[in-house]
Amino acid sequence: MTGKIVELFPDADMERLARQIRRWRTALCILAAAALAACVCMAAAAGTANADRMEIAAIIVSTVAGWIVIYCAIFVVTARRRELAHAAMLRTEDRQRVEGTVAVTDERFTIRKSVAVRRVEVSGDEERRLLVCDSRAAALAASGAVAVYTAHGYVAAYEVKA
Amino acid sequence: MRALKNIFSQLHTFVLWLLASALFWGWIFTFVTDTSPEKKITVYCDVPQMRDTDLAVALEEDMPEGLRMIKVHSFGYVMFDVESIDKGDIFIIPVSDMEDCAEFLAPVEGEQGIKVYDAASGEGAAESYIQYADEDYYLFLGSGSAHIEDGKALAVARQLLALE
Repeated sequence: MTGKIVELFPDADMERLARQIRRWRTALCILAAAALAACVCMAAAAGTANADRMEIAAIIVSTVAGWIVIYCAIFVVTARRRELAHAAMLRTEDRQRVEGTVAVTDERFTIRKSVAVRRVEVSGDEERRLLVCDSRAAALAASGAVAVYTAHGYVAAYEVKA
Repeated sequence: MRALKNIFSQLHTFVLWLLASALFWGWIFTFVTDTSPEKKITVYCDVPQMRDTDLAVALEEDMPEGLRMIKVHSFGYVMFDVESIDKGDIFIIPVSDMEDCAEFLAPVEGEQGIKVYDAASGEGAAESYIQYADEDYYLFLGSGSAHIEDGKALAVARQLLALE
């Protein structure tokens, strides 16, 4: 008997991720441009009386803005970009159905140059150790899934009783 | 907690950015707040303490035409190797250092130098900006100054002498 199949990354989520990446990139570009413009204005306004203060202010503005851009570029934009690439891979690869009791463990780690994942154990006729994208782990754990569909050892979709 | 962990994992990137930012804007500000010797007057003061920025601002208030800025620096013996000191326009030197600095100094209006601080009376020029040591100080023009011929170095020197 086949139940209802739920995709971990449905079309709507893929679009939302792509939209978020575009918005974050735009926001970071605007922040960087604004900080640069502010620093250029400070340099242009620097005179004998205020040069020291303007220089310190420009260094502070460019440093803090740079830190924000670096942080968001690495930990927000790149993380989402990797999640999108991971999801695209899961949606195109051939899948294998694994039936059994699905348990999401607390074991979390990041695949190098890829997404953060959690270990999933499926106990049925045979025991399988799989991985699920960390952002979807909570949904899978709460779903009461009776089977999962895997691609390259990652959970791509799960099946719940209809 | 995870944000903090993320920051520590990229600490080297954040530190590098701080250094790059400080170096880059330091270079830019050095560039925009300086100009060629032809467009500025540089004053070197061999004094224990001074408010160099305030003195420069005060001298810039009535700057001779054609000049863009006035730079004021304190200096000591370590600066004798610095090339730019050859092009200094005005020097304020204690009597004890006059012999050592002789190669940079040019007479002012035919005199060996103008006394700017008299240790005996405790009175001197621009005392609200310059803290003199307990000896006489003299003002000279720089022998390599680009503004001896056009009289701008002398004009600024007179302005300095008139400051309280």
